[in-house]
Amino acid sequence: MNIDVDPITFEVIKQRLWQINDEQSVAIRTISSSPIVVEGNDFNVGLFTADGRLTTAGIGSLVHVGTMSVVVKNVLSKADRIRDGDVYLINDPFLGALHQNDVVLVSPFFVKDELVLWIGNVLHHPDVGGTDVGSFCINARTLYQDPPRYFLKLCDRGILNTEVEYTFSTNSRLPEMVALDLKAQLGAIHAAKQRLSSLVEECGVELVSAVVNRSIETASVQFRTLLESLPDGTWSTKTVMDGARVGDNALHYVCCRLVKERGHLTFDFTGSSPQVDAAVNCTYHATFAGTVVPLYSFLCQGDIDWNDGLVDHVTVIAPEGTVVNATFPAPVSICTVGMRWLVTVAATRVVAEMLQASSAHKDRVCSSWNVAANCNNVFGLTPEGKQFGTLLSDHRGGGAGARSFADGFSHAGQITSFASSLGNVESAEWKAPILYLFRKRLIDSAGAGKYRGGLTAITAVIPREVGQIQLNATNTAGTIYSNAFGIHGGYPGVGSQTLIVRGVEVGTIFERAEQLDTFHDLHGTPQFLDSKASESLNTNDVLVFFAPGGGGYGDPIDRDPESVVDDIRFGRVSLRYARALYGVVTSDVQGLDASATADERDLIRQDRLRRPSLAEFVTASSEDVALVCEKCNEFVPRGKTNAGLSAPRRVSPWAALKSNGDSDRMGILELSCPTCATLLSVEEVDKSYFYELRDEICE
Amino acid sequence: MRFLGVDTGGTFTDCVEVGPTGEIRMDKVFSTRDAPDRAILEVLEQMARSESVSLTDYLSGVTSFSHGTTVSTNALIQRRGSRVGLLVTRGFEDVLEIARGPLGRVGGLPQSLAMDFLHTEPKKPLVERTLVRGIDERISADGSVIREATKADIEAQVLSLVNEGAESIAVCLLWSFKNPQHELLVESVVGEIAPQLPLCLSSKIAPRLGEYERTVTTAVNAFIGPITKQYIGSLAHSLADLGYQQPLYIMKASGGVTTPRRVFDEAVSVINSGPVGGIIASRFLGQVLGETKLITADMGGTSFDVGLIIDGRFEEQTSPFLDQGLPISTSSVKIVTIGAGGGSIATTDGYRLRVGPQSAGSDPGPVCYGRGNVDPTVTDALVVMGFIEPESFFGGRYPLDRQLAANSIFEKIARPLGLDLYQAAAGIYQIVTSSMADLIRKITVEAGYDSRKFTLCCYGGATGLHCGEFAKDLGIQKIIIPYAAPVFSAYGVAIADTVFTATQSMPSLIEKSEYFVDSFNQCISSLLHKCEQALGEEFLGRPQITVYFKLDVRYVGQMNEVALAWPGKLNIQDIPQITELFEAAYRARFGATAVRGKNSLELINIRLEVSEPKFENKLQPLSESAKQDVDPIIREIYHPTQKWLKVAVHEFSNIIQHTQITGPAIIQRDSTTIWVPSNSFIARDQYGNLIMQLQGE
Repeated sequence: MNIDVDPITFEVIKQRLWQINDEQSVAIRTISSSPIVVEGNDFNVGLFTADGRLTTAGIGSLVHVGTMSVVVKNVLSKADRIRDGDVYLINDPFLGALHQNDVVLVSPFFVKDELVLWIGNVLHHPDVGGTDVGSFCINARTLYQDPPRYFLKLCDRGILNTEVEYTFSTNSRLPEMVALDLKAQLGAIHAAKQRLSSLVEECGVELVSAVVNRSIETASVQFRTLLESLPDGTWSTKTVMDGARVGDNALHYVCCRLVKERGHLTFDFTGSSPQVDAAVNCTYHATFAGTVVPLYSFLCQGDIDWNDGLVDHVTVIAPEGTVVNATFPAPVSICTVGMRWLVTVAATRVVAEMLQASSAHKDRVCSSWNVAANCNNVFGLTPEGKQFGTLLSDHRGGGAGARSFADGFSHAGQITSFASSLGNVESAEWKAPILYLFRKRLIDSAGAGKYRGGLTAITAVIPREVGQIQLNATNTAGTIYSNAFGIHGGYPGVGSQTLIVRGVEVGTIFERAEQLDTFHDLHGTPQFLDSKASESLNTNDVLVFFAPGGGGYGDPIDRDPESVVDDIRFGRVSLRYARALYGVVTSDVQGLDASATADERDLIRQDRLRRPSLAEFVTASSEDVALVCEKCNEFVPRGKTNAGLSAPRRVSPWAALKSNGDSDRMGILELSCPTCATLLSVEEVDKSYFYELRDEICE
Repeated sequence: MRFLGVDTGGTFTDCVEVGPTGEIRMDKVFSTRDAPDRAILEVLEQMARSESVSLTDYLSGVTSFSHGTTVSTNALIQRRGSRVGLLVTRGFEDVLEIARGPLGRVGGLPQSLAMDFLHTEPKKPLVERTLVRGIDERISADGSVIREATKADIEAQVLSLVNEGAESIAVCLLWSFKNPQHELLVESVVGEIAPQLPLCLSSKIAPRLGEYERTVTTAVNAFIGPITKQYIGSLAHSLADLGYQQPLYIMKASGGVTTPRRVFDEAVSVINSGPVGGIIASRFLGQVLGETKLITADMGGTSFDVGLIIDGRFEEQTSPFLDQGLPISTSSVKIVTIGAGGGSIATTDGYRLRVGPQSAGSDPGPVCYGRGNVDPTVTDALVVMGFIEPESFFGGRYPLDRQLAANSIFEKIARPLGLDLYQAAAGIYQIVTSSMADLIRKITVEAGYDSRKFTLCCYGGATGLHCGEFAKDLGIQKIIIPYAAPVFSAYGVAIADTVFTATQSMPSLIEKSEYFVDSFNQCISSLLHKCEQALGEEFLGRPQITVYFKLDVRYVGQMNEVALAWPGKLNIQDIPQITELFEAAYRARFGATAVRGKNSLELINIRLEVSEPKFENKLQPLSESAKQDVDPIIREIYHPTQKWLKVAVHEFSNIIQHTQITGPAIIQRDSTTIWVPSNSFIARDQYGNLIMQLQGE
């Protein structure tokens, strides 16, 4: 039945299918009452082949692109009898939902008794139950404290099952909102079905099926061809989570090793930490979905369709019983902003290293992109006694990594979605009894480099007209390790942090500060929160938080000094860090002092050359890849590089605030070329590894 | 009694004169980009000359002169406006830099470009960061003052902006739409210490919820206001020098005209007013011809613009993007654009064939123009297929090079895809045509309508060769190609009503309370008051005035509103009516299942639109010009599905009224060519419009 279809007809019908699918997005964005959906773009829509392969994805969150088809396949294998008009509801992470908030609706599309396609969408519901408000269960220790998992038939042959709808909504703390979101999802499927029917009527079912299959085949061939144009090699990285649940302060790792061989990519997560008694764990499906995100963003972009075409060329190895393939009954309800986020961060970095090694696609290098979701949920009662709850959207203001040809984007949103956005301050204040004191760009938050990373923003919020507000802080990580990798000698960006400044005389705050720029100006006692925390915000407390910055690209002392002067002038880099990292000195009138700058940069080079070789402290591992010095045009074995280890505050005044800019766990390792002193790599490393020798190589 | 419309939007500066009984005269000259008024005077000279009168004499008979300009749009796109100093609430100085995150970087970009994560470079900021100052003040969500602004602080900030070289000032304080007192204090301070500086207050220009969009609106207005005012002032001056005493009107994106006196305050709505003229002219034509549901389609060199008119009303865009990353909070007529024009470039990677959004525009233009572009375009495909005759393009003034076009399509498209030349050319044509159908389908569906119930009104140089095909695809049965199509925007500008619009956000729960009713009615009064302030107190009493309100309503917590037409003040017993209207609109768009009776509604904005016609326009039947049947030329063309076809090519001027021409056929008229597909008919009505009837296959 697979009929031949010419490239023109193919393009025309494929475009039409894309638009039919996009109708789902329009319906969802219009109907949903959830800012996570409308501003955060945390939803997606898809069309699937009869056997459940994704053929057309929408422009919602990319993280859903890699997992929606798993749900359809599970329905196909587990549902009793699938009939025209049925709609299934699944939020079970072990059946393909990322976490329980992500409620997936899928429905078969029949033409005369023949199952032709599946229509589906997934939407992050604001609350689906569980121990914690918002269902990001930062206190859960087992799956049974997580929100309930469903596999339900919501509509039976076109008839809404009201008992099911009731049961689903009544298990939520926000029954009206989730009911509305469910309406949005049903409306979306309804819209897509109607238009698919007219398309099939127009073109015939054979042609539509042929196009659907060919979409996947074409993307597959395109993707393989692109891979074949990239160099083979192996690249590894490690991302670190500092604290998996409230009260936990341990470090947990996601290790990722990318092996690229001809037209195939293998992401091997062996070495990642054992699964934890906390809801940050990923199921295998979530790990797979998180891994492929940078492949869509940086390899497919707008040229290769976002569908299952690439799955044949990607293998994801994730050992059972680890945080990247947690087994039943591990809790998983915050996996999307937990380990799934770190999986994407790790995959992004190794993909960037692969692209950096290529000559044709170096313009796609980007080693980090808003590497933590510093989600702050506030909830409580309004002055009128009504329940409110909202996720502050400021965590989307983080920076992206620098590019190989220009600075990174500031306030870049998420790598999973180019169409997300920050909410307006006024919208947030309209929804919840809070008052913003400031929302500003955070100076020195971007990783230094020849090209600077993107900056993040810092936000301060107080309760308004209520005595108390509850805060659930669900930060991916970032209070010690930033994970905001730089590349090619660029520094990492700052990690994310949430703090409560206690004992601030809020009533007179405006009188006492000329300008509120940072939490220091609030004159209170800062309490730096762990990355997962449950706190209450009282009358004299100020909530302050920032998302991560982006990492830099290349050695900062190779940055055009005039660009650094601009950065100083526009409040992106302080004088102090301009001098320390970029070697840029300015004169009184904020102009460049060119000769002092040249001298300073020379000093930096001399200092670097005086550092001992890495090999004096660390035995080389077979995994080590030689670094490339572009200036000397040669490979430099890691052991031969000059090594310097310093405290996190070297990167930014906002790094590792909790431990005063220092850390007994993590250090910044700088590796430079022994010949020309150019920085080849700057990494966040486990300090214990170097511990005994710390005095010798520390600055 | 002559009404002039002059549009300087494109390659040509078009002029239309509408006589007292509706008769139309038109002319065009090449636009003069650097000084648009030169071309205006030139085209007026030409109009006068064709009547053998002097320009002064000609202008003395003109009753109104309406102008559509791109001066403001170009100044914004190229960032050639004033040096703006921006005052915001202290602590929020980075509002334009943070820009709601990715929205401020990729918002407004065509999607295929936005999906390229790493090459979406933000544009140059409207306001340099060193020209932003925070004022020590704060108003809360309920409008109460949390931190009182002081004169001394404002003075200091304003002076520091003046010292930095600010040439105009924009002010956008948090919640100022709810309580403007601090912005008004800024106004009075600026009035005292820097009265020469143009000043824009967000509470006056765009009193709507959402500080980013409001700041953008205000800053854009301060950025292009002075240049716009200066340009209009000098045009008014030139016209006055020629003895023209009557009013000058300026086209706005909100679907009507304004006056030079108000053009500074409304400068932001002069931006992107270009395509609005055409949709206004379509509305008029629809009214005359009794069409209640119209889709307008306008394809030019770089883009394809679509609008909807339902029962004489336009669809609206409440937060249109003016440029990459710049959404505003002033609504405009909804015209949706995709990068599909004659100059749109076709590309392939050997797997897929794509057309646009990149465009060769009109300069260097398609490959067949022979001006250096080597990438094949839609026009090149049409030349290769024989739809456009190279020798008679633009009335023979610009012969095209078919061979260049053919080589380019063959090398860049046909060979990599393994197609022959004609298949490749036809492919480009099909893909661009179906993307037009897709766009129209999307817009009608999103508005809750079925495209098959619409009549299509087509204008713009490149639409004629595509409209028959995409209309068939959409199940549309009737196409109108207006007599004035070559200058349709200018025609719309000439006949546009005077329009005043104002919006006020009053976010509140819709409930049966005196308090709600009072705030609602206060809001209505204040909107009407604003209108009186702008147009004079007697204005609302004039006989021809139409007053129209809209409510932007949503379920509590939603992020997007539904606009509902509303008559005016509210009585407490009418409140359920709002719910009924809302649910009806919702049902139409999303089906009955989406309605959720239990959820409460909230009102976000009330909007006012007041319009007054400049004159009563009529349409004048043309006297028969073609006297005898001229035999058409027969040409062979390549059609995507029917392959080689022999078609009759008719000259527009030779077509006799009400004589049906059966497709396949081609109609040629100066700068445009119209394709009449098989199984369809076309005829010229008494007004000179071409009416195409399509039949299902």
